Amino acid sequence: MTGETTNFLYPFIEGSETDAGSLLDDLARSARGKWSQSAQLRTATLEAHEPALARAAELMAERFAAGGRLFTFGNGGSATDAEGVAQLYTRPPAAGMPLAARSLVEDQAVITALANDVGFDNVFSRQLIAHGQRGDIAMGFSTSGNSENLLAAFAQARRQGLLTVGLSGYRGGRMAEPDSAVELCFVVGSDSVHRIQEAQAAVTHALWREVQARLASPGAGADRAERPGPEIAADPPPGGGEEEPAA
Amino acid sequence: MTPGAEAGLAGPRVAEPGLGAVADDLAGAALALARRYHVPGTTMWCASPAWPYHAHHVAVEFVHPVIVGKRALAALAVPPGADLVATLRASVRPGDIACVLAPADDPVVGEAMRRSRAWGVETVWIGFGPRPDPGVADHVLWLPTDDEVAASEQFVRIYHMLWELTHVCFEHPGLLEPEPECDDPDGTGVCITCSDEGRLAEVVTVEGDEARVRTPAGLETVDVSLVEVAPGDLVVVHAGFVIGEGERTVSAAARGPAGGGAA
Repeated sequence: MTGETTNFLYPFIEGSETDAGSLLDDLARSARGKWSQSAQLRTATLEAHEPALARAAELMAERFAAGGRLFTFGNGGSATDAEGVAQLYTRPPAAGMPLAARSLVEDQAVITALANDVGFDNVFSRQLIAHGQRGDIAMGFSTSGNSENLLAAFAQARRQGLLTVGLSGYRGGRMAEPDSAVELCFVVGSDSVHRIQEAQAAVTHALWREVQARLASPGAGADRAERPGPEIAADPPPGGGEEEPAA
Repeated sequence: MTPGAEAGLAGPRVAEPGLGAVADDLAGAALALARRYHVPGTTMWCASPAWPYHAHHVAVEFVHPVIVGKRALAALAVPPGADLVATLRASVRPGDIACVLAPADDPVVGEAMRRSRAWGVETVWIGFGPRPDPGVADHVLWLPTDDEVAASEQFVRIYHMLWELTHVCFEHPGLLEPEPECDDPDGTGVCITCSDEGRLAEVVTVEGDEARVRTPAGLETVDVSLVEVAPGDLVVVHAGFVIGEGERTVSAAARGPAGGGAA
């Protein structure tokens, strides 16, 4: 900038740049590179998880067909991914079958009440104690795989007989360990939080498409009509909630 | 595996098109955001009536960066149930940014984009499918797909990169200063170029032949004897007179320098 006595030593320091053209070219080149990296990671992730995706879709479709519901959760950007998945299931694009799903991050009154009274590690697990029933599905999003409130939620979900589906990144974290409460864990093998979230979106969309395809097949449709969902039970048992020590 | 399984999993694996020219639009938007954020007090308003979770994601991206040490930037998501135009009208300050994710035929978003000009707000419109009318938003980032689910994945990429590239621009402070648009060569306090243009304004109140209007420079009193106006109208102001209805007739210069009104 003008007025600095050392400017003559560094005639090309960035502070004196005036032509944005080369920066814009660099930015566009960087964007194209990242876009193609993300596209490649997406393809590699879907291929690596294809058998597990088919298995998860089969189990989820069975549960939806029997009246099960999906609960989604995550923190930060992953919370928004959880919201997006809940919206995709409940209000799918044209031709999709609406399915019962709810994001556990949406209600500020509940989140702040739980965070204030029992701690942030329990904001999702305590909601599952209230809502979760055998036959439901719990789906949690993390990029590290180590978020305490997700681990607590998955453990609670398993105790209550929910199917647990996790999305993680890096090398999977605690969500992907052998003793994890996550039955079906989809790890996106990347060290970039952004690229992980982008590929996780592709995984959840592939899973949704597959669940839709299975429910649209005649057998699943008949199942669904014959068996009313457990959510209409008049007096649900407290479930595994009593086993959870109050934090 | 059921037949449906193959169809379901194969769908999303169809080869995706590259980013193409959208990369250049993205670069331009990132530099514009960095220029606006370079002025203290700038807020980015994020909205997506159709996909509110995307608006939340954009906001959290800027406020709480994933890379430790990067600046926290002010960004807020407009609540999905809110009246978008009314919320922005009450909340935005000249120099702010509006970033929306919406289909081109969302009339409320289009309205908010057009009015942002009068409010001194720079606009970024992200979407897919048919494009919005040219010039409705300052930056149009339009994705190469017709599939809503594929678009949702691409939105995440686009706003992640918008954040990344905005921060790259901060490393080039010399390019963040507003370009001189009015040099007032005679020192008379009147710039011939600026005084001769039509500027977009939003009518606030009308009394007889006078109206109070909102422009990027603030509230002004103008003569409305030539054109009948009502509160809320977008109008073109020239030399103290409303001379017509304002839609997309406004020149780029009318937006004023980046952050010009934040002082």
